[in-house]
Amino acid sequence: MVAAGLLSVMGASMAGSLERNQAKRLHDRLAGVPPTSAMEAGTSGTLLDLMEQDIVNGDPEQAAMRAIENPNFYNVTLKNFAMPWSNEEQTVFAPLNDYVATVIGMVRDDVPFTQLLSTDLVYIGDPSLSSIPAYSMDNNDHYAALERNAIDLKANLVARTQSGLTDLPPEATAGVLTTRAAARAFFIDGTNRAMFRFTMLNHLCNDLEQVKDNTRSPDRVRQDVSRSPGGDSRIFQNNCVACHAGMDPMAQAFAYYDYAYTDDDEETGRLVYTPGSVQPKYLINENNFKPGYVTGIDHWDNYWRKGPNASLGWGSGASSGDGAKSLGIELANSKAFAGCQVKKVFRAVCLREAQERDRFDIDNLLASFNQDGNLKRVFAKAAVVCMGD
Amino acid sequence: MSLMKNSLFACGLVSITLLLTACGGGAGTTENPDLNNTVVASYTGPAPANTDVQAFSIELWSKLNPVNRCGSCHVEGDQAPMFVRLDDVNAAYTAASSVVNLTAPEESALVTKVAAGHNCWLPTSAACGELITGYIAAWAGGNTGGTSIIALQPPAEGELKEPGSSKHFPAASAGFNGIHNLLTQHCQECHVESSDTPQSPFFADASIDAAYAAAQAAINLNTPADSRVVVRLRDEFHNCWSDCGSDASDLLDEINTFAGPISSVAVNSQLVFSKAMGLNDGTVASGGSRYDANVIARYEFKTGQGTTAIDSSGIEPALNLSLSGDISWVGGWGIQIKSGKAQGSTTASKKLTDLIRAVGEYSIEAWVAPANVSQEDARIISYSGSTTSRNFMLGQTLYNYDFMNRNGNSDANGEPALSTNDDDEDLQATLQHVVVTYDPVNGRRVYVNGEDTEDADTVATSNLNDWDNSFAFVLGNEVSGDRQWQGVIKMVAIHNRALSADQVQQNFAVGVGEKFFLMFNVALHTGIENSYVVFEVSQFDSYAYLFANPVFRVLGDNPATPQGVPLKGLRIGINGKQASVGQAYQNLDLTIGGSAYTSEAGQSLSTAGTIISLENGADADEFFLTFEQIGNSSNVTTDPGTSDDVKIALETTDETVPDIGLRLFDEVNASMSELTGVSMTESRVQATFDLVRQQLPAVENLSGFLSAHQVGVSQLAIEYCNSMVDDTALRDLFFLQSGFNGFGSNVASAFPDLAAKNQVADALYYNLLGASEVANDPTGDLLTRAPTLSEIRDVLINGGIATNGQTYTALFTSMASNCGSCDTQSTDTIVKGMCAAILGSAAMLIQ
Repeated sequence: MVAAGLLSVMGASMAGSLERNQAKRLHDRLAGVPPTSAMEAGTSGTLLDLMEQDIVNGDPEQAAMRAIENPNFYNVTLKNFAMPWSNEEQTVFAPLNDYVATVIGMVRDDVPFTQLLSTDLVYIGDPSLSSIPAYSMDNNDHYAALERNAIDLKANLVARTQSGLTDLPPEATAGVLTTRAAARAFFIDGTNRAMFRFTMLNHLCNDLEQVKDNTRSPDRVRQDVSRSPGGDSRIFQNNCVACHAGMDPMAQAFAYYDYAYTDDDEETGRLVYTPGSVQPKYLINENNFKPGYVTGIDHWDNYWRKGPNASLGWGSGASSGDGAKSLGIELANSKAFAGCQVKKVFRAVCLREAQERDRFDIDNLLASFNQDGNLKRVFAKAAVVCMGD
Repeated sequence: MSLMKNSLFACGLVSITLLLTACGGGAGTTENPDLNNTVVASYTGPAPANTDVQAFSIELWSKLNPVNRCGSCHVEGDQAPMFVRLDDVNAAYTAASSVVNLTAPEESALVTKVAAGHNCWLPTSAACGELITGYIAAWAGGNTGGTSIIALQPPAEGELKEPGSSKHFPAASAGFNGIHNLLTQHCQECHVESSDTPQSPFFADASIDAAYAAAQAAINLNTPADSRVVVRLRDEFHNCWSDCGSDASDLLDEINTFAGPISSVAVNSQLVFSKAMGLNDGTVASGGSRYDANVIARYEFKTGQGTTAIDSSGIEPALNLSLSGDISWVGGWGIQIKSGKAQGSTTASKKLTDLIRAVGEYSIEAWVAPANVSQEDARIISYSGSTTSRNFMLGQTLYNYDFMNRNGNSDANGEPALSTNDDDEDLQATLQHVVVTYDPVNGRRVYVNGEDTEDADTVATSNLNDWDNSFAFVLGNEVSGDRQWQGVIKMVAIHNRALSADQVQQNFAVGVGEKFFLMFNVALHTGIENSYVVFEVSQFDSYAYLFANPVFRVLGDNPATPQGVPLKGLRIGINGKQASVGQAYQNLDLTIGGSAYTSEAGQSLSTAGTIISLENGADADEFFLTFEQIGNSSNVTTDPGTSDDVKIALETTDETVPDIGLRLFDEVNASMSELTGVSMTESRVQATFDLVRQQLPAVENLSGFLSAHQVGVSQLAIEYCNSMVDDTALRDLFFLQSGFNGFGSNVASAFPDLAAKNQVADALYYNLLGASEVANDPTGDLLTRAPTLSEIRDVLINGGIATNGQTYTALFTSMASNCGSCDTQSTDTIVKGMCAAILGSAAMLIQ
């Protein structure tokens, strides 16, 4: 805080206001808070001084990485980045949960983000923290307490396997898709199609409207979809089938999952997994179209590898499989997934949607993501793109 | 003799001129039967010789032998065939056998003759045909007593058709002007939606595009003379504007002109395809038999035209329904109600009371497709006098069926209603079989798609003696017309018994509408004579066909047993091309033969069904199948659209988006905590944040910033500053470095001079807006968007002139002049106020 003393420190290496403004913006955008004016330990300047110097030295990414060290990058920026993915309302005003904590932990630890939808991983608060209830499959108390107590997530999140922490077998784990928060939001009631739709929306940046293709085979469209809504089959032929033909055979991967709760208390439910036994929700309203598809196992197929949705850029995943994990691999290895993460990061730090005129920068960010799925670096690079000039 | 009387009576009604020609000399008169006389002599002949004769006597003979029907002529000693002779039911049975077809009742000579206009006693010949078809079907059903096994008769060798090329409507309406002119000139009184008496299709719409879309179903490009619009004029004399023949001819000329240049689409010769079939080339699948022993009114909507829905129950009097409003006939039998109602006369409706009250129980059965799940208090089927008085009602409220029944323990409106459970969402906007039953033991029950919904009736059972026989039976609305229901009704039956659960299941299983077996010959590819892929096909609704249960079968007298025949990638073709939507069998990949194949049933290819869009109408559309592989033939189908050139979609907009934005709620909180040193978990701060969290900005966009946001930011800033100043350690850390040490003194002592005031302003500036900036340049202009120290001093201490030219008073001045006793607490308050003004400003809020 000592203002006068700093003058001599920076001395002649100051390059003027541009780099300083850029450094300030990098920090604002990444950490969400103004840089502290305290002297950086082991250095002779404030954080902003050091960041400014990085930029002067031609390494703005290093400056960005310094800002990312601020705990608020994890507690604030990343939390709000991921929070809308973890609930159906897509609101940021939701309590911290295992979905969001896992995203934060994966970014902190440089876990390839392409494992987001398939890994056997979940992050919890350090069990040694006092006055924080232990993780429970039956409620969100643990995470709510971490947030309530403003626990530094960067310092205190620890990785666990889902299969170790919960009753899911390893093969049933699928990254954030099998977190409790995701189950609470997307396996609750309904038909589990919500999990597919919101995964498409949140992680491939395509809502179903954008991937409609009514030329795929409708052979896996379930019985509950009326083929003649209100007595007019044109609606099905022109609209419904365009989503269901591709969605239903993929959402079949979730056939053994449900979010079970009692007495209308949705907050105290838990994810259940019934290997070999299809959840009844897959078989409801069977008379809406009796010759429709009857789900028997959790085998999924990606019909969208062909046809117009081949443009989602399907990658090294398999075009079919059993269960959520392999589907998660298929989805997260698409170019659409990579592009989506990059666009979301761009939006988070540039405060606007990426435009066609940003194509060059987006391609660079994409190349960086595709190296190793390191989202932290994408954040740093994107912030540099938007640090102003 | 009634006949003689009738003959004379008929003649007496016609004009004198006709009397001279018809009743005078010349050609003999044709005696019309008395269609009003329902008297039937009691039968005293021999008993039915077997159960089939018994079924005949109940289902057909007794229905047709009144003298107002066939009994006036086709009896003993009169005209042959004497299928309703009253002296010997067994002889009548023999005579009837020559004019009925029990496997295809609608093809019976008895039906076709009457349907063609031979002495029908109902308003339209079609109605009589429909009725008699029902009688014969009932006879056949009663006779077989259950699911009948359909004998598939393959088409004769000479009848096998190659898929023909065919014409299709172009997407644009270009060239349609000629037809459109005629339609708008002569049909616009009814066939436009805005008409006082609107009649679908609205092909006379002033918009040529709208008219074109509506007219397609009524125009046959491949055989223009068969176009519905032409047939209506030429053969059915429907509202011709001059002479029906020439009107039809004019319209036909225009259709020919339009259709002529449209080129036919031929089947791609690369494809491996089967022989072709039209819907009517198939074998009718009559399915199982319905339980209709106690039907007293029934509507199957088979006539498909006109404004009357025929009661085909055969129970007199026929409770025919007049259609009024926007009600159209749908393909595959049914009516679509958009507005209006289908209502019977009170006189004919009286039979419901008479026949139900006597037994005290009944069932309402229907196949319905509600148009939506948003309509409330809507009447699907009602027997009522007004919105508040009725005998029964089946209605819809959102996802629920409602059942009202008047009995000794209900009110006059049949309430309280029995509604299906909200959570079950039993009603869906799709075709459903719904049955509601009432009997004095079980009360009301609701069955949807064959299943008891298990909604308990809370009204005690009682008799139905209170029923009012002056009410009218109505579909789709209340009799008063103000409880509209929208949707499709494909069948309605009223039974004067409560159907048992088994009977409900039986009727549900039979389904509704007409089904055909279409046999697609694939012998060319399999090398097996008479080898077929057989589909069960029905018209699903007005816009599509349902294809289901494909089976590979070898038919004929000495069918071969297929072995190891590969079958892969089956697609359905319609009118010369593969259907673009609905190819549910394209992923098939199996081998015909082995244990999966039996000579009786063939080999099922799939249990899936699919919808294929209707194009030119059920009479005109022609189907065929294509295969990626079948037997020795194969054709690799490539799926278009696969591309490796994937680019991430980015927005293109000319709009300039600011590259700065607001800090969001959590960022505001974290920033204030960081700047003041107060923990986010400090209880007062946390309580305030909880309160204003959702009032703080949730999007960065500056244009979304509202005054409510600023109020929230200010509240939080006040709390942070409050907590900071109240905490001695924190405030010392914050203010001491700039030299301010006035806490604990009254206002006058704390701020003795300008220097002291500036110390506060400086501390706020250094700590809240970035001390390091000052370190580098005390003028504070390095961060170009941050306010300068002098600006902060002006706002807080000195006052000045704002950018709009207005003079403003410094915050300190305002607060110090209104500090009351101006004691030590006031000093704190002033500092807190100045702190909050800076902390909650745009300097913090903008990132």
